[in-house]
Amino acid sequence: MTVEQTEARPAAKRWLCEMCGFIYDPEEGDPDSGIPPGTPFEDIPDDWMCPICGAEKADFREVEPGEFPEM
Amino acid sequence: MITGYGHFAQLAESLQWDETAIDLTADAEAFPQLDQDEYDQVLGLLAGFCIGETSVATHLTSFNAAASSDDMMAEVFTAQARDEARHARFFDRVVREVCGVPGTNMTERVDALRDRVSPDLVELFEERLPAIAASVAEDHENLTAAVGLYHMILEGVVLTAGQHALLQTLKGLSVKMPGVVKGMELVLRDERWHIGFGSRIIQSADVVDDQMEELLTQGTKAASAWGDLIAQDDIAHVEHLHQRRLKSVGIKFW
Repeated sequence: MTVEQTEARPAAKRWLCEMCGFIYDPEEGDPDSGIPPGTPFEDIPDDWMCPICGAEKADFREVEPGEFPEM
Repeated sequence: MITGYGHFAQLAESLQWDETAIDLTADAEAFPQLDQDEYDQVLGLLAGFCIGETSVATHLTSFNAAASSDDMMAEVFTAQARDEARHARFFDRVVREVCGVPGTNMTERVDALRDRVSPDLVELFEERLPAIAASVAEDHENLTAAVGLYHMILEGVVLTAGQHALLQTLKGLSVKMPGVVKGMELVLRDERWHIGFGSRIIQSADVVDDQMEELLTQGTKAASAWGDLIAQDDIAHVEHLHQRRLKSVGIKFW
């Protein structure tokens, strides 16, 4: 793969827990809950809960491009 | 990772509610019909919330002052203090209007309810929290330790366990208490962002080894502070959530 192709690859989608501000980053996963790094949010089991506040998967929304640029 | 403080300020503004707007009429009619076990369980949990929320509403001001070097963090503490005061007023209204607890003010009603909760719970809110709040007022460098006790232990473990237990109890009663359920759900919604905010502070802090150990051991002990009012399985569950939360903010203890 060329450098140009690597740069063109879209960043993995991150998801925000609207209840507590936790951001799920697919690159990190949630290993303590059995979610290995590299797991897209869509592939997480429906009974997974936010590690900070215990909210359900349905309480997350996709982070918009450019949202939370400090992170 | 957890979002920045600006997100919490926006969230707090969007989640405001009025504790006086909740209709407690059906609850006041239902409460005298509870059997003795239900009565003791509901009033015991409400007593814990009256004591806890009154104390946290009082002592959060010290945290705000300690955060004065970070305007956005200070703003979020102010928003949280507004929530905590509302929670204290809501539970006071419930014990006054629904349960008929005597007293001419909130302090007198808290005094009347204190014997209904374990000494461990009273100690956490009426001795340890005031002590850590005083230490923050004296030295702002103690803010991280104070947030560790307040947000991670008292809110993340003790109050969370009580909130789930009260909701579970209310939904299993022989009569319906919809107003208390509604208020409890709104309190729980607020507490989620409070815990997220505290977790964000801990995540950003340079937490040393003994503080990590303290957070873990305090959480395990605090989960039992409700005594017989909360089932062992629920205590184990909240302990697990506490450990998972600590790991997520970078507190490694394995």
